[in-house]
Amino acid sequence: MAKQFVMNATGDTRYQFDPTDAAAVAKASTRFKELIGVGYTAAVRRGAGASELIRDFDPSAEETVFFPRLRGG
Amino acid sequence: MRGEWSVVVAGFTTLVFLCFLLQGLALVLGRVHRLSPGGTAEGKAFALLKQWLSPVQLAQYENNGCFEVTGCHSGKRYRIRRARQMNIDELDEAGARSAAWCFGPEGNLPIGDLMLAPKISLENDERTALAVANRGFGNEGPSRTPERYWTRVS
Repeated sequence: MAKQFVMNATGDTRYQFDPTDAAAVAKASTRFKELIGVGYTAAVRRGAGASELIRDFDPSAEETVFFPRLRGG
Repeated sequence: MRGEWSVVVAGFTTLVFLCFLLQGLALVLGRVHRLSPGGTAEGKAFALLKQWLSPVQLAQYENNGCFEVTGCHSGKRYRIRRARQMNIDELDEAGARSAAWCFGPEGNLPIGDLMLAPKISLENDERTALAVANRGFGNEGPSRTPERYWTRVS
């Protein structure tokens, strides 16, 4: 199962989907586009401690984390 | 009549006692839930953070409450500490703090998220991250964070 983690005040909201399920993938892709559209950054975990920022939905990604737009503190 | 009144009083007393008992039980259960791993926003955020750290970073975090990352563009080392503000130290070659940076995702996020987002950003898009960041003083001047904190985590 692939996972999407969307950071928020509750820590994160987690979504899981089956990469072999076309409908589930489409839904995950829509979620991805919506989040990117409102300023979220998406990153995929590539290994132990390694990650990669992505701008396009990657259906093969096992874990994607989304965090809100960065700002100075 | 007097007997009936006694029953009413006894019933009312029992009801009040049960209310206090249930309230106490709810408080205890709520506390247990908050203390359980993953049971709170902070718990979830720290659990997610740990999954995304490298083994070396995880060891640093477990031992010191902070971990180091390398900026993808400059190659500089940064230390991300467990704090809500000014929690990113730029390190010099000797490992001493040369500057403090403050940036993070918008919104009222738990601290674990405020550590993970800068890690990902500095390791993948350092310039963009620092472009929005506020820079604090390094060793050359006063810090907006109590000095005792720097010494505690160093």
